[in-house]
Amino acid sequence: MFKKMGVLLLLFVLCIWTYWRTGGEDQNPYLITDYSRLHPVKVERVVQAEQEKQLVELLKDARENQLTVSIAGQRHSQGGHTYYQDGIVIDMTSYNRVLDIQPEAKKITVQAGATWADVQRAINPYGLSLKNMQSQNIFTVGGSISVNAHGRELRNGSLIQSVDSFRLLTADGQIREVSRTSNSELFPLALGGYGLFGLILDVTLTLTEDELYRLNVDRTQAAAYPSYFRQNVLGDPNMRMHLARISLQPGEGYFSDMYALNYAIDTEASLQDYNKMSVREPGVLPAKILFNLNRGTVWGREWFWGLQQRYFESQDGTRVSRNNAMASPSAFMEYHQPGNNDLLQEYFIPVDTFPAFVEEMGEIVSQEKLDLLNITVRYVEKDDEAVLSYATQDMFGLVCLFHASLSDEEQAKFKASLQKIIDLVIRMKGTYYLPYQAYATTEQFEQAYARQDEFFAAKELYDPEHTFMNYFMEQYGGNSK
Amino acid sequence: MNMKWLVRSQSMVTLASGMIYPYYLLFLKNLGNSFSKYGLAFAVFTISSAAASQWLAPRLDTYAKRWLIMSSLGMAGAMIAFPWITSYIWVLLLQVIMGLCNAMQRMSERVLLADYTEPGKRGKPVGNYHFWTSAASGFAVIIGGLLIDWLTIDVLFYLSALLYIWGSVSVWRSNHTTNQ
Repeated sequence: MFKKMGVLLLLFVLCIWTYWRTGGEDQNPYLITDYSRLHPVKVERVVQAEQEKQLVELLKDARENQLTVSIAGQRHSQGGHTYYQDGIVIDMTSYNRVLDIQPEAKKITVQAGATWADVQRAINPYGLSLKNMQSQNIFTVGGSISVNAHGRELRNGSLIQSVDSFRLLTADGQIREVSRTSNSELFPLALGGYGLFGLILDVTLTLTEDELYRLNVDRTQAAAYPSYFRQNVLGDPNMRMHLARISLQPGEGYFSDMYALNYAIDTEASLQDYNKMSVREPGVLPAKILFNLNRGTVWGREWFWGLQQRYFESQDGTRVSRNNAMASPSAFMEYHQPGNNDLLQEYFIPVDTFPAFVEEMGEIVSQEKLDLLNITVRYVEKDDEAVLSYATQDMFGLVCLFHASLSDEEQAKFKASLQKIIDLVIRMKGTYYLPYQAYATTEQFEQAYARQDEFFAAKELYDPEHTFMNYFMEQYGGNSK
Repeated sequence: MNMKWLVRSQSMVTLASGMIYPYYLLFLKNLGNSFSKYGLAFAVFTISSAAASQWLAPRLDTYAKRWLIMSSLGMAGAMIAFPWITSYIWVLLLQVIMGLCNAMQRMSERVLLADYTEPGKRGKPVGNYHFWTSAASGFAVIIGGLLIDWLTIDVLFYLSALLYIWGSVSVWRSNHTTNQ
């Protein structure tokens, strides 16, 4: 009997402990948040997008009842772009059909909730590939173009360049065909418009041909990186994609050692032998264990860089199709522990300023004791088509994955530290990326985005009642509704 | 009659099933876009279990222990296979196998409980059996949640497979230590 009582008591204690451990607001199932799990709020309702007519009616209903509308895809943005307190959230993930493929014209039309993986599956049999997208293919097309994403692709600017046209349901209830020639003023506003100019219903993307690449892995140093990049990567016409990493391993190589993954066209083998799309993501478990060690322990972090480097060097010379190279693993980075999270920030730095920036950033990270897990570097060609464009000149984008507590107190400290990095970014004539938690002050935002006035003035014109609303708008765009 | 082995082995089996079951439901739900598709996977499981019971029933008294072993091994196989399958039709096939294993386990367990107890004196041992199997399930679910948060659902499938194998070994060993 005592044994049984003991077992029950132990179970009871475990339950209480779990309840306590998962009791934070970030774990509240009745609130809505995004991938960051920051600022969870109650919304009026979440509606699954099914039909165009339903969406038109929904918008009409929202306006009549003075409710705000926010648009959500995979909710991987991290700054409250996809929901707003007491408003309606339209979940676009079920609005995901491939509508039309034109292999000759190299175009595809998809509903905005389709993921890049859906698009890749549809076009791979035709030997076609996307011109540009993020490194991972799990996001929705509508979400990615609304943040005007970029990826490893070297020669196709940011995502806006791949968009041929789209249909936009604007706040006045009209469905507008938007392209560079029709309703053209909305094109650079809605792309990179964070869902504030309307609901993107479907999108026509221009495509390119699938190709076979050979991966080449190089070691370099931050100080030499711009010249290495210009000479060996950008200067080599066969290079198509590039990604680099900066060492965060404590010691000599800290914020200095780098390695680069370069994808160059390979004509020595046949694409047909490599163009089957991988269905499963391999090696999630060992990668996740390693990433957890990197996250949790100092020795784990020391190990991680070396292991990571050795792993990628073992991949040197491997062949991969463009479509497979554009489907990078992501599952190993998922993090579900209550109370804290991995938070992304991205800084865009002009190519030549990179070494100075990295050196100073390393000092800030160390002084502020920031828990920085990973930095990847991508190149973004100057592309100022979008009004809120971040690539105001040729830039390196440094995607930084921080680990931080979600508590108000710790977030306030984290914010102060990140503002120091943003100050540095602005001093170096760089910009920072807007889909992530907005730690920047309004002044910093205005300095980084010179055309923000134009953006918010257009918002007043197209949506004076702020029907399309989110926390990005609240923070930078003036008063909430 | 000593039925400790039954309590131990089946606690191990409920530990294995309890660890994966609630998360397995989520896993299945993610496979389909609709609740109907999710429902179908379950229907297949229950139909398979019901159909198997009719074939198993006449042989139950003779083979109960053997089926306990086979059901655990079958479940272990299914658990190992789950992370590797990439199409819904395979999910349905595994649901059929799991339905068969479920029928073997549930029916054998009941028959053995009856065999090892006497009419009029069943309350206590059945209560004891229920306590340990349910408590095992409780631990399993809590540990399972922690493990998925840290690692992946695949780990849970494999761990569950190990526990199922352990459960079947416990039954098999009792075969050699008791007269049945």
